[in-house]
Formats: sequence, structure tokens, C-alpha cells
Amino acid sequence: MTDVAPPSLSPSGLAAPTTGVRPQATAPPRRNRVGSRAERLAPLVLVAPAVLVIVVLRLWPLLLGINFSFTGDGDRNGTAVGLDNYLTLLDDPLFRTALGNVGLLVLLLPVAVAIPGLLATFIHLKVPGHRLYRGVYFFPAVLSPVIVGAIFTLLLAYDGPLNSLLGGLGIGPVDWLGDPDVAIFAVVGVHVWATFGMALVVFLAGFATLDSSLLDAAKVDGASLPQTIRHVIVPGLSRTIQFVFITTMIGMLTSMFGLLFVMTSGGPEGSTYLPEYYIWTQQGQMNRPALASAASTALFLIMLVVGLAQIAVLRRAAGKED
Amino acid sequence: MKQRTLWSAVLVAGLMATAGCGSAAGPGSPAGGSGDKLVVWDWKSGDAKAAGYVEKAKADFAKKHPGVDVQFVAQPFDQYYTLLGTAIQSGKGPDVILFNGGGQIRDRSDALAPLDSYVAEDRQRLAGWEAFSKAGKVYAAPVTLQGHPFYYNKDLYQKAGLNPDAPAKTWADFVKNCGTITEKTGAKCFALGNKEGYGIQFFLSAMGSATLTAQEYDDWVAGKRNWTSPDVKRIFELWKEAGDSGLNNDGVNSTAMFNDEFALFQSGKAANVIGLMSDVGHWKDFAEFIAPDKIGVMQAPVVNTAATPSLPYDGGIGYAVAKWTKDPKLAADLVRSLTSTDALKTFYADGGAITSDTSIDVSAGGPSVKTIVSEVKAGKPALHVALSSKTLDLMGRLSQQLLSGSTTVDDAVAQLAASDTTG
Repeated sequence: MTDVAPPSLSPSGLAAPTTGVRPQATAPPRRNRVGSRAERLAPLVLVAPAVLVIVVLRLWPLLLGINFSFTGDGDRNGTAVGLDNYLTLLDDPLFRTALGNVGLLVLLLPVAVAIPGLLATFIHLKVPGHRLYRGVYFFPAVLSPVIVGAIFTLLLAYDGPLNSLLGGLGIGPVDWLGDPDVAIFAVVGVHVWATFGMALVVFLAGFATLDSSLLDAAKVDGASLPQTIRHVIVPGLSRTIQFVFITTMIGMLTSMFGLLFVMTSGGPEGSTYLPEYYIWTQQGQMNRPALASAASTALFLIMLVVGLAQIAVLRRAAGKED
Repeated sequence: MKQRTLWSAVLVAGLMATAGCGSAAGPGSPAGGSGDKLVVWDWKSGDAKAAGYVEKAKADFAKKHPGVDVQFVAQPFDQYYTLLGTAIQSGKGPDVILFNGGGQIRDRSDALAPLDSYVAEDRQRLAGWEAFSKAGKVYAAPVTLQGHPFYYNKDLYQKAGLNPDAPAKTWADFVKNCGTITEKTGAKCFALGNKEGYGIQFFLSAMGSATLTAQEYDDWVAGKRNWTSPDVKRIFELWKEAGDSGLNNDGVNSTAMFNDEFALFQSGKAANVIGLMSDVGHWKDFAEFIAPDKIGVMQAPVVNTAATPSLPYDGGIGYAVAKWTKDPKLAADLVRSLTSTDALKTFYADGGAITSDTSIDVSAGGPSVKTIVSEVKAGKPALHVALSSKTLDLMGRLSQQLLSGSTTVDDAVAQLAASDTTG
């Protein structure tokens, strides 16, 4: 675009009528104009399909949804209500709990990344039976959240096997899914169990790029396992770790619905609500689609901020490395 | 460069301008099936137990309107109201819609056509219209009756040395009997699952008629709810006491009502359960595990001497006609076929539902179903059905807090009162 000067502004174009001596001089710019117009339109035409898909299927519905969130529910269906829905959200302890739980998930993120990282390290260091573990660890990743949820609902039931086991050890039963202080951790724990296999595979792929001579050198120098992890493995895998952080975060914020639905239904006492579940309840159960739209918009903004923050961190870290 | 910015600006401005005009909540445009085709949405017709019922209803309708194609679309119940909400938003969808009585249909009555003029002839024959009415207009015809009988396991009463045919009449005696049963058999008093917060709804409705005076009860149903009345508070106190004194099974807040609660009752681990009349968790389900003559149905034990216990019941499910249907008369005729005596008789026989047509002979179903049907006449609408879905949702969470001790009865009742008055 920048290498071709716009013909209408070229000095020859302006000069031609005033001098009137060299009529041919206007011809090349005219040809130029036709050629450059096609040239200018070509990229637009070429990107049009992609832009249209994004605009029609993504941005347009997004704007409709945001627009819809400023209208009312029930008797006020279709009328503009300004920020009423957002005020209702802020006033709803359930939505605040849902947002609080998002914060909790962010805090638990390092744990969710450390587990597959550590297990991948052991597999890479070829602990006895590492081939078996590699398969076993990945296995839960192929199960649907609903099935995982159903299995763990049985296991974690008040009179279920886990409590029997604890009882045998002399520890009192814990109401894993019925105690509001415990339930969210139980659900997140199950989510991590069900999804860490994918992160493990990413970590193993990262290990494949790790220079094994560094590990050997550390071994020769007599480094202990924690020292090896801290000074050799973590710096060598920093890009992989960042990637796993981001994908795990996205997974936690967007795909816990199935587990919540099956394991706790948002309870007990509303303690395991996440924004997604809140949106679903308001739309489907309470028949308040406009309020649900407002909650969706709020969730979108949160995801946008989290996503931008992650990109910023990633960019800075990448800049440091390259 | 400048031009590129201009392009983007035009694009964004155009989007914003058009976004402002459109509303996703636009008025429903009439659509739906064409004149000779009716589409029915439900969550029943896919069920083998309802196949005979649907066939009968279809045949009855075909006799009246040959040449009209009726199509049943069975939706998964989990997502039923979500899908229906989308259909209502777009103003397009099925002509005839199955609904649960109470809040679910009242919240959506804007999208439905009043049926009063079409179903006048059926008003006497069928019971349970109240649950499908709003502001004096009927929006659906009842198919089943749904209510909350107080079931008990006669076997356990017998084993504990109690007379299984003379259950306790007062709450104090009831609790005393429970103590005896737990001591002798190890079974708990109540089977209860409150994971979804449904347990409190059943408890409120079952114990309501034994706690509120007749005047308070009728006022409640009519919408004049006095949440500060000591009798209303007493129901929530009973709920908390039952939990605190160990009458319930363990882990109530993590036990699902469907079907873990009923499994506890069926397996004899608890002596009593507040169940349902139709569909699930009812006499027919229990009879697969407990002999039909060992399933007892009692009146709620009296808490307040000024109260007269009665069976709490409402219309359970019923068919409504969408506002956007082309020929409401035709759709209403299909609703009438779906509630014809013949069709309902089949539904009772196959599905074990107590239907809205109480003239159907149920003597083959065992003593419990006979007791239930005999109580329908004196029965009253259930208390929880009168509440909005929003208040019910809140009540579910508060009931869990009452059991875990993280809130008090006073605070819970105050929150419910606030939710109830704001709608």
C-alpha cells in the first residue's frame, strides 16, 4: 500500500490540466489508477470471507447479546432498562460467589500446572514403570466430564467408598460434596484429575526439546532432584509452562459446567457456582434471558482481561528469551 | 494507511449503528406448524411408559380431525425449559407444549393462549387446574396430578413393634415412633436428599397443612403470604430440628433426591419419605422393592392443633397452546384429546401416574394408591407451587444453610419474605 503513491495526489496528475502541453503525461497515471484500484481492493476481497465469518458469526451475535443485556425480562421484555441487569448482578450474592470462585480458580492454577509438570518430570527421568504411567495418566482425558462427574459423585458420597476408607483409618467422614467449604475444592480436584493428562502430554513434548546433555551435566555435578528441577528443567521448559498455564486457565474457566451440573448442581448453599452455571440457571431455570446476557457480558469482559493479561505476560517472557 | 483506518471506522460504526436498532427480544412473529400440521413438544413421548398414552391421544384426535398431522418431539428434560426459552424468544416453535404446573408455566404465560373457552366442558371431569392458571385464566389442561403424600414403610414399623396401620397423628408421637424405629431397626426416620434444594419444597408442602391454620393456608396459596407468622416460621424450625436431631439420613446436602433419597427408602434404610404421586418417587416405584401392601400413606402428623392435615397436590404436567399457533381451536382440540379419559386411563395403567381424571378406577394399584386418590377430594394446592422459581431457588440454598447451621430460621424467613415480595 505504502509503496504506491495515491495517483490523485501525484504532482503529474495535478500538473497536467494546467500545462496542457503534454497530454500523454496523464495517461500513465490513469493506467496506474486502474491498476492500483484493483491492487487496493484485492486484499480486501481476499480477506472478506474471513472477516465476514468473524463479523457475522462472532461479533454480530456478541453485539446483539450485549445489546440484549440492556433490556428487561418478564413484563419488561424488550424495553430498555439501562444498567438495571448489571446492578441486579452486583446485588446478587450468588453471582458474587460465582466471581469469587473464578478468583479461587486463578489461585489454584499453579497447583493444577504443577501436578502434570511434576509427573511429567518423573516420567522423563524414567522412574520404574514410566511407560505404564504415561498411558494411565492420559486415560482420564478421554472421558466425558459427565461420566467423570458421575463416577466421583459415587466415590465421594457421604456413605461412599472414600469415606469408608477414611473411617477405616479412624478419620471421621467428610461430606465432600455437601460441605460448602469443601465442595468447590472437591470439584476442582476432580477437574484437575480429569484434565491433567493433556497438560502432561504437552510437558512430555516440551521435555523432548530439552537438551539432555544439560541433565547429564547436572547429574555429573551431583545435583539433587529438586536442584535439577529448579535450575535445569524449569528454565528449559519456560515456554511450555506458559502454554500449559494458559490452556489450563481456559479449561478451568470454560469447561467445568458438566462436572458442576452432575456433582453439585451449584450447591451446597450455592458455594460451587461459576459464572457459566449462573448464566445457564438464569436463562433456563429462572426464565431471565436478559439477566443471563448481562452475566455473559460480564464473563466475556473477565475472560478478555485475563486473556490480554496472559498475552502480555507471554509476550514479555518470549521477548526475554529470543 | 489513512484509508485503512477509515475502512475500519466505517465498519465499526456501521455495526454499532445497526446493533442499536435490533433487539433480540423482539416481539414474537407468528409462526409454528402450518394449518394441517401440529407440533407438540414434551419430555414424555420418548418414554416407553407413555407410548400407549400418546397413541390413544393421537387416535382420539385423528377421529375428530382426520388429515391433520401431529408430530411429537421429545426433548431432554434437563434442557427442556432452556430450549423452550429460546423458542419463546424467537416467537417460533411448537404449537402444543407440555409444562410443569406452577412457576414454570406462570412465568411463561405471556407466550401461551388462554384455553378457558375451549376446555370449559372438561373443567368438572379433571382436577388440578389451579396449577396451570394465572390471573383467572387457564393456560393448560392437566394430565397428571402431582402431590406429596407422606409414605411410610409398614415393615419397619412392624419390626419396631409399632402398629403399622395406626401411624402417629401428632408430630410429637411421630418423632417418638421414629426414635423407637431407629433403636430397634437402625433405620433413620426420614429419607432425605437436598442436593438440588428440592427436599425443602416437599417438606414445606407436606408439613404445611399440619402446621398452618386453614385461613393461613388459603391466604398463602392466594398470594397473601405472611412470612412473619409464627406458624410459617414453625415449618422451617421443624426442618432444622429434624436435621439437628438426626431424624434424616447422613449427608443430606450431598444426596440427590432423584433417586438416592428414594433408594434409601426403598432399601429400608429410612422409615418415612415425603414422595410424589406421579412419574417417579411414588407408590409404583416403591412397589418394585417393597411389597405394595407394605407401603403406607399417612396424613402429615399434626404440629399445630388448629391445623387440619390434607394432601398437598396440584396439576402435575399439562399441555398448553402456544400464542403463535395458527389455529388455536385445532391445537386446543389436541390438548383435549391428550386429556381424554381413555388416554389418561392408559397413562395411569402404563406409567403409574395419578391422572387428573379421578374417576378412573385405581383399585388394582394397591392400598397406598387408593388412599392417595381418596385424599384428592379434600386435598389443597401445595404451598411451594405458589412460590416463584426465584424464591424456590433461594429457599433451596437457605434450606441447605439451615441444615449446616450457617444461617438462622429468622434470617432465612426474612430473606424468603424479601424475595417473595419483589417477585
